[in-house]
Amino acid sequence: MKTLMLGILLFGSLLAQEVVELKLPNTNKVTLKLMFKNGTVCDPAGKEGLTYLTSALIMQGGTGSLTYADIQNKIYPWAAGYSSSVDKEVSIFTFEVHQDFLNDFYPILKGLLLNPSFSQNDFDRVKRNQQNYVDQVIRASSDEDYSKKALEDFLFRGTKYQHMIQGKSESVKAITLEDVRDQYKNFFTKNNVMIGIAGNYSSAFLSTLKKDLQNLSAIKHLLPAIVKPQMPKGINVEIIQKDNAFGSAIFAGFPMNLTRKDNDFAAMMVANSYLGEHRKSYGQLYQKLRETRSMNYGDYSYIEWYDNGGRNMLQPAGTPRTTNYFSFWIRPVQIAKQLKNQYKELEDIKIGHAHYAIRLAVREIDNLVKNGMTKKDFEATRTFLRSYIKLYVQTPASRLGYLMDSKFYGKKDYVNEMDKQLAKLSLADVNKAIKKYWQAENMCVTIVTDKSEAEPLAKSLKENLTSPMSYSNIVKAGLPKEVLNEDDAVANFKLNVNEVKIINSADTFK
Amino acid sequence: MRTLFSFALPIFFFSAIGLSSNAATKPFPYPIEQHKMANGLNVVTVKFDSPGIASFFLVVRVGSRNEVEEGVTGFAHFFEHMMFRGTEKYDKDQYNEELKAIGASANANTSLDRTIYHMTGNAQKLEKMFELESDRFQNLQYPIHDFKTEAGAVKGEYTKNIASPFAQLNENVANTAFDAHTYKHTTMGFLKDIIDMPNQYEYSLRFFNRFYRPEYTTLLVVGDVTPEQVNKLAEKYFAKWERGNYEAKVPVEPEQKVTRFTHLQNGSIPPYVSLNFKGPGFDEKGMDSPSLDILLTILFSQNSKLYQKLVLEEQKVRSINGGIYDTRDPNLISVDASIVNKNDMQYVKDEVTKAIDAVKTNGVDEKMLSETKSRLKYSFAMGIDNPSSIANILSHIIQLTGDPESINRLYENYEKVTVEDLKAVAKKYLTAEKLTVGTISADAEGGVK
Repeated sequence: MKTLMLGILLFGSLLAQEVVELKLPNTNKVTLKLMFKNGTVCDPAGKEGLTYLTSALIMQGGTGSLTYADIQNKIYPWAAGYSSSVDKEVSIFTFEVHQDFLNDFYPILKGLLLNPSFSQNDFDRVKRNQQNYVDQVIRASSDEDYSKKALEDFLFRGTKYQHMIQGKSESVKAITLEDVRDQYKNFFTKNNVMIGIAGNYSSAFLSTLKKDLQNLSAIKHLLPAIVKPQMPKGINVEIIQKDNAFGSAIFAGFPMNLTRKDNDFAAMMVANSYLGEHRKSYGQLYQKLRETRSMNYGDYSYIEWYDNGGRNMLQPAGTPRTTNYFSFWIRPVQIAKQLKNQYKELEDIKIGHAHYAIRLAVREIDNLVKNGMTKKDFEATRTFLRSYIKLYVQTPASRLGYLMDSKFYGKKDYVNEMDKQLAKLSLADVNKAIKKYWQAENMCVTIVTDKSEAEPLAKSLKENLTSPMSYSNIVKAGLPKEVLNEDDAVANFKLNVNEVKIINSADTFK
Repeated sequence: MRTLFSFALPIFFFSAIGLSSNAATKPFPYPIEQHKMANGLNVVTVKFDSPGIASFFLVVRVGSRNEVEEGVTGFAHFFEHMMFRGTEKYDKDQYNEELKAIGASANANTSLDRTIYHMTGNAQKLEKMFELESDRFQNLQYPIHDFKTEAGAVKGEYTKNIASPFAQLNENVANTAFDAHTYKHTTMGFLKDIIDMPNQYEYSLRFFNRFYRPEYTTLLVVGDVTPEQVNKLAEKYFAKWERGNYEAKVPVEPEQKVTRFTHLQNGSIPPYVSLNFKGPGFDEKGMDSPSLDILLTILFSQNSKLYQKLVLEEQKVRSINGGIYDTRDPNLISVDASIVNKNDMQYVKDEVTKAIDAVKTNGVDEKMLSETKSRLKYSFAMGIDNPSSIANILSHIIQLTGDPESINRLYENYEKVTVEDLKAVAKKYLTAEKLTVGTISADAEGGVK
């Protein structure tokens, strides 16, 4: 799974500048997005996190003539805002300003992009926060995010996709200001930028912007080819143990050769929505784990990266990728230590709910692969999606973002085109696609949990021990027979477990 | 489903003052149409240019503030979950099917003073939204087993949230700062009460009967709709909803006399100092609320002297921010700082105190005051670009006063704030007697005086 530098030139200088325009004369602001096709796959080995640090420093530093503090003082009364976001294959700078101040703001914007100051002082500050994120924040503040990032690390091990956007503890330490300058020169160039603009702006403004961006670096750098990860053999589990975790946070998945570019995407969107639409109660995973058994706060599945799922209710733009994977998210379930404390009748249990929950989820996938969706579920899910995807683009910024992502995938307007594809779809298309892309035998699983839970859970998974659902008496008393029967089937469902490892929190992301 | 803003960041509410180019308009630039129904339900419509899309919100002025009885903290939030558990007409599965057919983004959340049920979706399905929501608001009926089961999901939510040390500190700060008022507990509630929730079925019936009433509720629709259409549907679907007669007697918090402290020993994140002053409840008539919003922006935004000194120059602080919890009753004004080195925790507290004391003595620069008013104005103007943002902004003001027009009055008041007003609120609220210091560090004690 080595990443090869194949030298694919994605944007030649002979190509015209890529521009996405969204004129909205009735709005009072202008939104500008610059998407650079670089992303963390361009981080040099040993300097993982460099693209993120470069983007962050451009946005949180000064220009040739203004310090960061000067800029903050200037834009304060305008309430103008700007920020960067970085993903595996792109970095995006977003600027938003009221039309009253567009002309005042422009020289600052231009200075940040073309003449960033890259001062040592700003570098130290921005790098320190990034270092803190990879050292502490990711491990300490949300076990859900932790398990999600750890899953990517696991799935893409050995590839350019493996490391976190922010890098790793050792690699961030190694980054110098000189590295940042080089990364800016090599990967934030006029040859790999896509311009997106929305709102109330003039053609003259856009012309000036386009002309000025010709002054970005002219280097035509070779972008690394993206090597697809290999399908894991069997079910491989990494249990990350930490002190005083309150529950077990679970993410699992396997590589899937499908993106928005592909014709099957609409079909898999329906299948996935049925299995586990993000933050909706309709999905099978949510219905069975949360609605029927109240094991946690929610359970969802994904056919592409979903940024900040704990906060975002609707899929945000800005993370287009050429490599995808299927995943499911089981929000923290109870551990034995807590359950024993809370219910006398559970004082003898060995493990909490994680093993059961994983079994249930994998069994649902298996059932879908074997049996497909029904006509009724297909129709209901398709109808839902045809309305729902339109909500992705409610604001000028989200409309612009989606149009730019569309271009990344070689499409004009993803949301509109997806609606047309959904309209044409048949049940047979969906069930065929499910069989093609999903399976229940091979996957990576990450679980962030308490130290007390790790060993017994690992044993239970490794030995495929029966894992009965441990209800409190008060809930158990009212459960219908079909739920109890299903519980039996789930508790004994055989997982194709290959390997189970326990890892200390301090040893993750190495 | 059902997110929870149990510890909403202390974000004050950005201004809606009309832009100078259009001085004749009200601060909030769209007409707010209100129709008060005979049963007390207030129906609010804001027409907005969002072709085919509308946001449908029900704002119930019940939150953890109303949890006055022993042993039932967290109940407003738990009840929000129960609202998705069906009626006689639509059991929970049928409700889900109907909701799915609408294709809307629908959810609910609870905070200290209110519970919001919201849907944003196809404006042509407006009548279906009315039908579904009016049915569950009047005819909620859940099996006792569903009630007991749902409590597990609430515990799951608590488990998810409490993984964060900040959530743990927040819980401790509220519990330390308040003695009598229900803001003592977070919206999530105390864990012991969450564990006991399955045993509170009878209480849940009483809760619904008390609070899910028209006089507690505002129906708000924003988007591609007309007031006539909305009012007609409201009369059709909500006219039979009966008014109630319950009012929770929320205890008054006694005056705090000395600084209080709470510390969380946790070395897994950088040292953290949280300074929490007892502030006022939201008051649209007086000048305290708008003055504090402006003062806290001046003191802690990224162009403030304090931020530039501590974060940019000295780099002793990773981030610092300040804001007030906008609530009906007096709540906390919070200043939070993430610190590089734990030896600087006391220094940071002292620097914040110095900056506050400077305002008490010298006031602030007039130019800074006028730039802050401009900032609030433009920030708001750029934010109202879609139906759900507008509905959220109006819901916030409705929770505070019950009247969406308060948004205009509040932001007219922002324009009137003077330097003397800022000095006055600094002296009145930002004092050592009203302070609760929360800290996180690897040490057994906070060590901040």
